[in-house]
Amino acid sequence: MKFEIMRDRLLDGLNDVTKAISSKTTIPILTGIKIDVTDNGVLLTGSDADITIQTFIPAEEDGNQIINIVETGSIVLQARMFNEIVRKLPTNDVEIEVKNELQTHIRSGKTEFHLIGSDASEYPLLPEISTENRFEIPADLLKSVIRETVFAVAASESRPVLTGVNWNIENDELICVATDSHRLARRKVKLENLPNGIESIVIPGKSLNELNKILGETSNPVEITMSNQQILFKTDHVLFFSRLLEGNYPDTSRLIPNEFKTNIKLDGKTFLQAIDRASLVAREDRNNVVRFETLEDDAVKISSNSPEIGKVEEQIPVESIEGEELVISFSAKYMMEALKAIHGQDVIIQFTGAMRPFILRSVHDDSILQLILPVRTY
Amino acid sequence: MARVIFHVDMNSFYASVEQAYHPELKGKPIAIAGNPKERRGIIVTSSYEARAKGIYTTMNVAEALKTCPELIILPPDFPKYREASKAIFTILKSYTNLVEPVSIDEGYMDVTEVSKERHPLELAKEIQLRIFNELDLPCSIGIAPNKFLAKTASDMKKPMGITVLRKREVREKLWPLPVLKMHGIGESTAKKLHTLNIYTIGDLAKADERLLKQKLGKNGVRLIRRANGIDTREVDPNAIYDTKSVGNSTTLPYDIIEMKDIETTFLKLSEKVAERLEAKNLCGSTITIQIRDCHWKNQSKSKTVQNPIYLEKDIFREAMELFSKAWDGTPIRLLGVTVSNVIDKKHFAEQLSIFNFEQFAKEEPIYEIIHSMEKKFGKGIVQKGIDVKKKSYASKTSFSKDFFDDLIDK
Repeated sequence: MKFEIMRDRLLDGLNDVTKAISSKTTIPILTGIKIDVTDNGVLLTGSDADITIQTFIPAEEDGNQIINIVETGSIVLQARMFNEIVRKLPTNDVEIEVKNELQTHIRSGKTEFHLIGSDASEYPLLPEISTENRFEIPADLLKSVIRETVFAVAASESRPVLTGVNWNIENDELICVATDSHRLARRKVKLENLPNGIESIVIPGKSLNELNKILGETSNPVEITMSNQQILFKTDHVLFFSRLLEGNYPDTSRLIPNEFKTNIKLDGKTFLQAIDRASLVAREDRNNVVRFETLEDDAVKISSNSPEIGKVEEQIPVESIEGEELVISFSAKYMMEALKAIHGQDVIIQFTGAMRPFILRSVHDDSILQLILPVRTY
Repeated sequence: MARVIFHVDMNSFYASVEQAYHPELKGKPIAIAGNPKERRGIIVTSSYEARAKGIYTTMNVAEALKTCPELIILPPDFPKYREASKAIFTILKSYTNLVEPVSIDEGYMDVTEVSKERHPLELAKEIQLRIFNELDLPCSIGIAPNKFLAKTASDMKKPMGITVLRKREVREKLWPLPVLKMHGIGESTAKKLHTLNIYTIGDLAKADERLLKQKLGKNGVRLIRRANGIDTREVDPNAIYDTKSVGNSTTLPYDIIEMKDIETTFLKLSEKVAERLEAKNLCGSTITIQIRDCHWKNQSKSKTVQNPIYLEKDIFREAMELFSKAWDGTPIRLLGVTVSNVIDKKHFAEQLSIFNFEQFAKEEPIYEIIHSMEKKFGKGIVQKGIDVKKKSYASKTSFSKDFFDDLIDK
């Protein structure tokens, strides 16, 4: 195996695939990066057994030569070491050659590294996914769907299935739901040509976070292929495989109320700033509690009180209050994250009682819906 | 301004109290053991006469009797020790209000003010003599400009010692000693320090602060300061009332391995911890379990929960969950449960979840009534439950400071 490549292009590829590599893996070979050289280009693979990322660097792009392939072949190189070496090479031209099976030479300018690689045939095979259930979504839309839901997944492993985002396909809609049991984020997207073979899957939150880092802010389509155990996201040059979470995702649809006792329309930005201020004194408290109270004449009072730190009180005007008066306490953190996910000015908050979940959404539609469970004070 | 701090440390406290109550035991080797009949009888403390014959704390009863057949072993009598402790602190408080009890048998005094009129050494002698004459109990007193040095000083001469330790003497008196001799350094910290080539207190004093911070965290920085004789902690008379954690542990009468025995033990421990939390109106968000196996290997495992807990069933559930993750099947000698990061239950706010909100939703009408009454008559007109402090001696060991709660409402 022997090829010459531009260092920048190799680094870009390494950046993508190393996102999947974990130093904590129990399979030693997975601390390495697999390099496959074919006549068409170089394929890099990184994996932690849950996530596998592959990126392809073509030999030629738009008529420009990027890689000069001398001899095809495969090798696995220690990921962290290889990455550091490439990063620190003196020139932009890199030559990589494997001799005597595993002896790897990395040359740049007058520098030459010798690394001992591992046998590529020992590297685990890629998961196989049948191409039956497939659809497309623009990369930037997928990124926002991820951002608007993944923050709400559970951090603790006590209910493993809640550490993932639940994707449901219902007719022409993809419905994504995440909840850590204390709040919930739901995003609905209308898409064309959705498959009907698989209705519900749970994607690990960690996988989606990594995917979000790799995807660019473009409207280029991402091709998504689902099976019962795996999901594959495919862009021009990157393949992103993720294992799915097993177990039944709780039915969250019944949690979202249909009738409300108090409806408040307000400016999301102003409200977010007020909650942010109130959380300054609430922060020390583990549950970060803020008290919210409706006042007369279209205003609400936000207050927080931590005995050891101090208190804060603020009144803000709102667009309108309909229905019953209300006093409720909730986590400032959850409220801020929900408001950020809606990222709109015109927000409606709908309550059904001080001890029941309430929802937030844009006044205009319910494509992004956030639900928060209140805090009960002693 | 330089302060004058005393550390008053009672000498073999339980044994001395027994000898004061029973003068016929004076001059004889006696020891207090957890439970002389069962195996868990380990020596908690012993008189100086017994120590001279090779008896030491943590020795088990059988071994102790082999070493010293004439040893008189007594069961602990905590009410008696508590009584004596109260009397001691009453004497200390007659000199200054700045008395900080640390445990049942030791405490700090800030005598800076008193020292303006009387020489500290003379004062220490008087306190030592009063405790000896009035209560028939020996103690050692350390005199120093801060708590750390005072504690170090009281340890230098026992029994009935009075030692002055000046900051300028740290280099000569402390630096040659191995780090393990320093207060605040146990076996595991000492081991970590050894890996950094720090063997004496002097090495520690000159260690690189950044390196130690990396290895030991905040504690590393604190230890370097202490090794240089620096300690800025004030004598805080109320420190003892700030409960930081509530925990109970028990050494089992025999090594256990059956899940049923383990559950029974955890249930009892959880019950005790819950009772003590209840007595102090506390709840806590971190739970820790301690396991000591038959080879004396200790391990602890902890977890922080979103909603503070205080109920026996919740403590038990979390403890069992931690246990199942931590236990490797080795027979168990000791089990312990601790709830820490405690706060007053009044400040407790429970984050509801999608799985439990419905049971709370039933209470909504009550909250609505409270709210409407508050609006009419002012805040605080209605309160949930009543603050009644219960007494609890669910922990009756030497390590518990619960009984100091009785001193507070005088």
